[in-house]
Amino acid sequence: MDTPIYYAKTEFIETDTGNKVSRRATIAGPQNIILGGKTIISNGAIIRGDLKRTGPGHAVVISLGRYCLVGEGCVMRPPYKTYRGNFNYYPMKIGDHVHIGANTVVEAATIGNHVVIGKNCVIGKFTIIKDCARIADNTIVPPNTVIPALALFSGSPGRFVEDLPESTQEIVEAHTKHYYTRFQPIER
Amino acid sequence: MSPSVDYHCHCLASNSAPPPPHLPSSSYSFHPLHELFFCEECDAVRCNRCVSVEVSGYYCPNCLFEVPSASVRAEKNRCARNCFMCPNCRNTLSVVPSDPPDMDDGRSPSAAVSAVGEPPFFLYCNHCRWDSAEVDITFEKPTGLAAQLQKYEDSAPDSLEFERLKEHFEPFLRASSSSALAGPPPTAHSHHPHVNPITAAASSALARDIPGVGKYTPHPRGRRDKGPRDDMVEYRSRVEVGGSSTMGEADVEFMRHIEEVSEVAALEQRWANSWATSLHTSDLKPLRIPLHSKKSKRCPTCRHILIKPEQKAQSVRYKIKLVAANYLPSIKVALPQPMDLVRRGAQAARPPGGEGNSGANGLHAGDTYPFTLSLTNPLYDPIQVRLSVQRQIPPASTTVASDAAPVEKSRRPPFAVSLPSSAFPIAAFAEAWEYEDDEDMFGVDDDEFGFEAREKEGKAKNKTVGVLEKRANVTVVGGEVVIGKDAKGEVKFNMLVSYTYRSDDPLPEDDVRGTPSRTKAPEMKTFSFYTVVNLGSIVPRQETKMDTDP
Ligand SMILES: [Zn+2]
Ligand SMILES: [Zn+2]
Ligand SMILES: [Zn+2]
Ligand SMILES: [Zn+2]
Repeated sequence: MDTPIYYAKTEFIETDTGNKVSRRATIAGPQNIILGGKTIISNGAIIRGDLKRTGPGHAVVISLGRYCLVGEGCVMRPPYKTYRGNFNYYPMKIGDHVHIGANTVVEAATIGNHVVIGKNCVIGKFTIIKDCARIADNTIVPPNTVIPALALFSGSPGRFVEDLPESTQEIVEAHTKHYYTRFQPIER
Repeated sequence: MSPSVDYHCHCLASNSAPPPPHLPSSSYSFHPLHELFFCEECDAVRCNRCVSVEVSGYYCPNCLFEVPSASVRAEKNRCARNCFMCPNCRNTLSVVPSDPPDMDDGRSPSAAVSAVGEPPFFLYCNHCRWDSAEVDITFEKPTGLAAQLQKYEDSAPDSLEFERLKEHFEPFLRASSSSALAGPPPTAHSHHPHVNPITAAASSALARDIPGVGKYTPHPRGRRDKGPRDDMVEYRSRVEVGGSSTMGEADVEFMRHIEEVSEVAALEQRWANSWATSLHTSDLKPLRIPLHSKKSKRCPTCRHILIKPEQKAQSVRYKIKLVAANYLPSIKVALPQPMDLVRRGAQAARPPGGEGNSGANGLHAGDTYPFTLSLTNPLYDPIQVRLSVQRQIPPASTTVASDAAPVEKSRRPPFAVSLPSSAFPIAAFAEAWEYEDDEDMFGVDDDEFGFEAREKEGKAKNKTVGVLEKRANVTVVGGEVVIGKDAKGEVKFNMLVSYTYRSDDPLPEDDVRGTPSRTKAPEMKTFSFYTVVNLGSIVPRQETKMDTDP
């Protein structure tokens, strides 16, 4: 049902698990990035899997769950800090059914399941966002902020606005699945 | 704004019909379906405005610590761990030592560095750069800061006064609560189960001081008037306010000499405090973070629980969750795509550049628009649905303020809505139809509905009002709206939805929405509810001309 969101078939790479990654997105260090399946990485997004903890070998730098959306022009960059004199990057973990709006910069440590982040937001370093939270468009979340479950945050700095309805999980899940179904290729 | 459908809750009003859609009160009585609850006992919709709410647990929104209710009172509803709010911008503050080690990129010391470093420690905002040393608040150790801050708070004159007031009223409250338990007849009491001694005291104090306000008092008047409050001694405040106070003058002096607005603390910066605070931005103190709570919700009529969250603060699961979306069909409204309008020749009247977002951006006066309503059945049994437009009550004294038109004109509805007049079926919900992993759900399973489903193509072309499509547990019906030549405002109407379903034996409590088929003869039941459908705003005639002429 409802209107499909079309994309040029040649513009996206579809993986075995149904992830759709734009050829016009910048995926740095892909060996350090995990996509859970049916996750969409839009045009112009930048995902910095190359910024990994110092040391040899692979390490998961950024992981995204199922049915996520990284919007156009988003920047996903792992958080970093200097602890006891050592500079280091820390991994970023994102759950299932997480939508991130266009041109948002994310440096969070963890984002739970069923989280919706608006467009033009800045999610500061080491931010923790719990399940079913929502960040309004144009919100600036300062570093180290904790956003509780089912909370709506908005503003600069981002502040608690209200509790979200008890059925948020179902609403968000239906929306993310629906979005994936609507996201359809056309031959051009 | 895209077209929307909201659902009515009459909130225990005796008249269950909703207000006309153009009254301001309309927006208060309609809600999105997913925000509503459903009481099985009363067979009625409930909303956040009418349910009774109980706190089922407290937690700090920053450290997420679950605070036992016993300590909530002593700690004055704020976090007693190391969580503080910036008095300037309300961001969370970090504890930093006096010799910040390498500050990352020189911007923001993060929480993790707080454990090391030299005293004194202070609180720092990494958003606006406020720090507590500015107001002479520093700490020898980076731990137990909340207790130290609470000492400041508790020694505020207002706080001390309040404590004394409480002490003063304590004996009276105790006496009145015990007499309330023993005294009044049970009938009076059962009518007001929520009246606690404090409310009762406040209420009778009001009744005594302000004539005519005593109505609320649930107890028979004569009896209460002999209450112990007459024996109370007069209260004397710690500090005499008014007389010799120079506070007001100092504030005036301060305001007279301000050079920048930011020197005065904004209202928003001051009202997060428990007590009145100074006007000076430079006096603002860090705040302990107020606690949040998890809430249970009950039906206001029968007291049955509608929402009961799991104990864990950050869990998003519920032990009980009776939401209307599991009982009522969900309705989505849409206006057709622009190409349909082109075909219908409506494009001619459209201002240049206005196409593309079709009806969503404006319906033109004098035109006719088809729209669709897709109804989804959440029940495990098929339902029969009937739709009707609520008869327009003439907006007698409540005409739209901006409308200077003659009375007869404003009384005539500015648009006419047609809906399918006969009842139509919606198939039962089945788990298999959930989106999960089936991109090809469209077009599967024609067997069950093949008959009607195949009709849809032919029907949709020559008919806009009626059933357009059926698939899985969704039925799409078409309607039509004819907009008057001089119409203005929004195309918004109340729609009554009635659905008939098969009712089985009462279900076990924990089975929220399962209605397994039984062999018993089914009983049919009908449930009705009101919705408001908003198709968008009307673009008046003149405007269209102005756009197209030059
Ligand atoms: Zn209500
Ligand atoms: Zn806390
Ligand atoms: Zn600040
Ligand atoms: Zn009830």
